[in-house]
Amino acid sequence: MEKKVTGVRCKACGKLSYPAHCVCPACGKTEFEPFAVAGEGNVATYTDVYALSLDYAERYLRLAIVELDSGIRATGHLLDDDPKIGKRVKIQIGVVRRHAGEETYGLQFVPV
Amino acid sequence: MRDVAIIGAAMTRFGRAEVSLVDIMCQSALPALEDANLSDRRVDAVVVANMGGARINRQTAVASALVDRLSLYPAAAETVENGPASGSSAFKVGFQAIASGMADLVLLTGGEKMRAVDNLEATDFVASLTHPEAEYIYGVTLPSLAGLFTRLYMERYGVTAEHLAMVAVKNHENALKNPFAHIQQRVTMEGILFSPDAVVNNPLVADPLRMFDCCPVSDGSASLVLASVDLAKKLGRPIVKVAGIGQATDTHAVQERKDPTDLLAVRQAAEKAFGRAKLAPKDIHVAELHDAFTILEIAESEEAGFFPKGKGAKALEKGTTSLSGKLPINPSGGLKAKGHPVGATGVAQLVELVWQLRGEAGERQVAGAKNAFACNFGGFGNNVVATVLVRED
Repeated sequence: MEKKVTGVRCKACGKLSYPAHCVCPACGKTEFEPFAVAGEGNVATYTDVYALSLDYAERYLRLAIVELDSGIRATGHLLDDDPKIGKRVKIQIGVVRRHAGEETYGLQFVPV
Repeated sequence: MRDVAIIGAAMTRFGRAEVSLVDIMCQSALPALEDANLSDRRVDAVVVANMGGARINRQTAVASALVDRLSLYPAAAETVENGPASGSSAFKVGFQAIASGMADLVLLTGGEKMRAVDNLEATDFVASLTHPEAEYIYGVTLPSLAGLFTRLYMERYGVTAEHLAMVAVKNHENALKNPFAHIQQRVTMEGILFSPDAVVNNPLVADPLRMFDCCPVSDGSASLVLASVDLAKKLGRPIVKVAGIGQATDTHAVQERKDPTDLLAVRQAAEKAFGRAKLAPKDIHVAELHDAFTILEIAESEEAGFFPKGKGAKALEKGTTSLSGKLPINPSGGLKAKGHPVGATGVAQLVELVWQLRGEAGERQVAGAKNAFACNFGGFGNNVVATVLVRED
């Protein structure tokens, strides 16, 4: 299983998109190069989800949308016991879902 | 384009159905055809709205099955799957068929049988509309997206837990007057918010959203019969005209929106619908909004243009959106209390508005309603259909 999360940078206008599109939403061109979704940012919003989806046995799941310094936003698991809107966090890659013995890696946010 | 009228409307009581998906649909289709006074049932086309048949009920090509069950051959038949906006998308397909002259009479049926599976499976089924790589893999569900949206909305616009509970109290109160509503239970601010038992009665689902901020999982169906206005006049039915439909899409992943508290597609769909109807939000007498979560009724009431952004909660607080207010919202009880069988929802909103415009809504009748608005919200706002209906005298 891939252990990094990637978005795409438009070769024509430089716009970063995550998740990827086949056509750049800014300029309409179709040539891209991948970039790793990484670094630091601020918590835009978060929630503790108690009505969990399949595959989760936790009591609750803390999800967040983070505004990264690169200008994009990303959704992932917030590993922070004292969450706040605007709080500084950084990305690490970890297991975010286990299904039928298969592990899926994705974005986790931890306090800086 | 020809003008299109709704000449028949019916729905089942939402809740738990013991019969098959197609039979649930028959239970609203037949009374809708009767309501339209079509004893010979010679419709040209049948459009079905359904989201989960393939996954939940192991049944595909549902429209063909409905035609067969109703012996409506050789009527044209198609199923529309467009997430939670399937109902009004299918309505739009029926509208286009008549407006273009391809059909004169269309039966439109939205139906869902979601309680055939447990809650986990039902939640996961709906979550499968989220972005597979950027959202779904993290355990993101529709309540999660609503929780993320609500926290930021509260922070930014001063919406409080009390405002959210007011939506629930109001819509449950309305549903008590609607014999077709799934949940017919009075709720009070005390019971769901202020009393020591509130945390038990009303547990967290996706903080800050609690159970009474979320719609139930329901089975049910709703049907409409559409005709050209000319034919409707010949049939002598009361005429509810489809004055305007608008639709807009937005980014699949919520994180990609310019502002995560904006519901741009609601705004754009509403503007288009009002533009086509040559009416403005101030002309509307009654509205059905897609309150799958309480916050959405407040946010949509702003984006649709009824109140300025950030002022929806104030209007709610003042009673403007109550049954006796200036603009009653969700007299049916909304998705919140009437229930949300996803494929049926967009159709059921319009069934309620047809009843309101014909003055047939009983105890929940909005006096003198002539112009009505519906917002059917797909995805988490990535595909929205808005409809304006007008009573023709």
